[in-house]
Amino acid sequence: MSLTSRWGQRVLALCLIGLFLLPVIMGLAGTLLPAFGLTPELAPGNGFAQLLADPRFLPALSFSVFTGIVSTVLILAMTLLTLVCVHGTRWWSWLSALMPPVLAVPHAALAIGLIFLLAPSGELVRLISPGLSGWERPPQSWIVPDSVGWSLIIGLVIKETPFLLLAAVSQLSALNVSASLRIGRTLGYAPARCWSRLILPRLYPRIRLTLLIILAFNLTVVDMAILLGPGNPPTLAVMLMSLVNDPGSRAAASAGAVLLGALVALCFLGMMLVEWVVARIAARRRQSGERGHGVKLFRRLGMGAVVMILIASMSSLLLLLLWSFARRWRFPDALPSQWTLSNWTSRSDMLLQPAMTTLLIAVTVTILSLLSAIIWLEFERRSIVPRIDGIWFVPLLIPQVSLLFGWQAVTLWAGMDGHWWSVVYTHWLYTLPYVILILAVAWRELAPQWGQAAHVLGAGYWRVLWHIRLPLLRRPLCQASAVAVAVSVAQYLPTLLMGAGRHSTLATELVTSFGGVDRRVIAALAVLQSLLPLMAFVLALIYPVWHSARVARESGPSLSRAPDR
Amino acid sequence: MHELCVRDLSLQLPNGKWLVQNLSFNVEPGQVLALMGPSGSGKSSLLSWLTGTIDPRLCASGEVWLGSTELTCLPTEKRRLGLMLQQDYLFPHMSVGDNLRFGLRGGSREERDQRISRKLEEASLAGMENRDPATLSGGQRARVSLLRTLLSDPCALLLDEPFSGLDATLREQIRQFTWQSARELPVVLVTHDEADIPARADILDLGNTP
Repeated sequence: MSLTSRWGQRVLALCLIGLFLLPVIMGLAGTLLPAFGLTPELAPGNGFAQLLADPRFLPALSFSVFTGIVSTVLILAMTLLTLVCVHGTRWWSWLSALMPPVLAVPHAALAIGLIFLLAPSGELVRLISPGLSGWERPPQSWIVPDSVGWSLIIGLVIKETPFLLLAAVSQLSALNVSASLRIGRTLGYAPARCWSRLILPRLYPRIRLTLLIILAFNLTVVDMAILLGPGNPPTLAVMLMSLVNDPGSRAAASAGAVLLGALVALCFLGMMLVEWVVARIAARRRQSGERGHGVKLFRRLGMGAVVMILIASMSSLLLLLLWSFARRWRFPDALPSQWTLSNWTSRSDMLLQPAMTTLLIAVTVTILSLLSAIIWLEFERRSIVPRIDGIWFVPLLIPQVSLLFGWQAVTLWAGMDGHWWSVVYTHWLYTLPYVILILAVAWRELAPQWGQAAHVLGAGYWRVLWHIRLPLLRRPLCQASAVAVAVSVAQYLPTLLMGAGRHSTLATELVTSFGGVDRRVIAALAVLQSLLPLMAFVLALIYPVWHSARVARESGPSLSRAPDR
Repeated sequence: MHELCVRDLSLQLPNGKWLVQNLSFNVEPGQVLALMGPSGSGKSSLLSWLTGTIDPRLCASGEVWLGSTELTCLPTEKRRLGLMLQQDYLFPHMSVGDNLRFGLRGGSREERDQRISRKLEEASLAGMENRDPATLSGGQRARVSLLRTLLSDPCALLLDEPFSGLDATLREQIRQFTWQSARELPVVLVTHDEADIPARADILDLGNTP
């Protein structure tokens, strides 16, 4: 049985899906067994009893629920408000251009930037001090740090809204928005009513899965919660991280991870219940025939919210850059009074090694993810495997804590912990879903006639793939590579748990050094962490254009004039 | 019912080419004005301008009046111009009845339901209120789409090649149904096919305008 036979290819596909699901299944088992006391030698004691006896548990649980749900609701509201108020206006192209940089910036780097903006000694206070506030020193009480968790919520909203917005925008073309708006408006409905009654009911089911992923992430995020959360109470995920590091509390950590998974599942159910109720009410209201009015205030409110998000995210990034080159920046100066390169040069040991490790892992993971996605999509195109989009989402829907605690225990048991390949494997698990889902759209839309035309000319399978299909898909391949780099660079928990402290990346270095290292060096780390995915996105944008221009130049004037014919 | 009046309409493409220059016409209630001309002559752009949904990259000037009301600066939803396109655009997340209710203005729930049942019966679609639009034939969809437009009580009807997606037999049926249903309204019809134009219609060939 060779790999070129149909059966051989089926076995290869089975191996691929097996490799993908192995950490999921083993990880869940590795979390569930110790939680229920079935592995006493690894995790002694009754995990659930230990956890419930911990006085931090209930406050942490309610804090996680509050921040997770409020941020998700705000993200959905912001996305819908942006679509209704900005889509189709001249601001839309501006917004579309600014979204990718915000998406590319890793969570931890954005959180640090936000701290530089919102903290008592942050830029916001500096801008109003001492002139408006009268403060000569950073204020004792200020909006940040807050005990309620608003900083964390703001951070999550700024980071995740562009993600949901992008998911929504990618679906709008299938809904023929302009025609629906045109018909709705000629029937007498105000634009906002057209959106709420004609477009959103069809859009929502298409972005539901992305919203569920965001909800799961917001309920269980660790790095942003460590940086932006109040610490007391911590979120449940952060509390579990402190338990997992204590060998005596391993069972309690596993029990907590199981409860966190159950909490996410419960929130999914709650969201679907709310969705059902809203859909019923909306269906009834649709029949009332009320046309509504074009409310300018509503439109301005939406525009204002979008502008606020953009200003906050862009100024956070700018502040990272300023701090990384600041030598002297005393409060309440709005800008540094002296500049230096020493933040980059004097601590190069702290910057270079994690940057190299991050880059090496990101490049390896990107290549592996692209290869896996191409293999799978080619098998799918040739009907060797069925279409199973839902399976790729599984690791994104399960809390990282719930999955990785168990997977770490399994790698520990198998002697694979701390291995570089374990880190790469786990990054691949979280990168592949994004790569495959980005490529799948382009792969399925590519007309089969291109390949048929080449086959008729005598080209074999590999020649068609290498010279026709892949070059035609150059742009989505570049986009998927950039996303893969961004996802890998941002991974904190998989690196921390699988690396066993032996592989320090920019994400782990940033979170663990925060608070203990000079904020100027932290800023340099955050800039470096942001630069890698940003560079990947810029390359993904430039390379296809550069390549087309080069082909046109080398092909001479006749080909370069082709589009005009 | 009032007449639809267009005065000194000029439409210019971003590249400077004129689609229409200083065009004026009146359409009386019950009258049909057929706009003909080759592709790219500005027929559909003219309808988009009438409804206030024209591509902002096009440069447009002129006035549109409905009786004594100027519509030029009114938003689309206030113009009360019914529009039917080549595609029927029945909203897939609503049943046939809900699509029609979406078009209706005012009235109690009972009155609205009665009116819809009556209209469906007139259109030989009785009892189809709860049907999913996806299960309807092309002719049934076209009739529901026209009913939805008419139930919104438009003061004029704009038709942008509404029959071109239908087969020959169906086309004749829907044409008759449309002219019968819209007999009291000023109608502007965009078409490529002379067979679509009723005998009483006036023809404006945009290919021959200066």
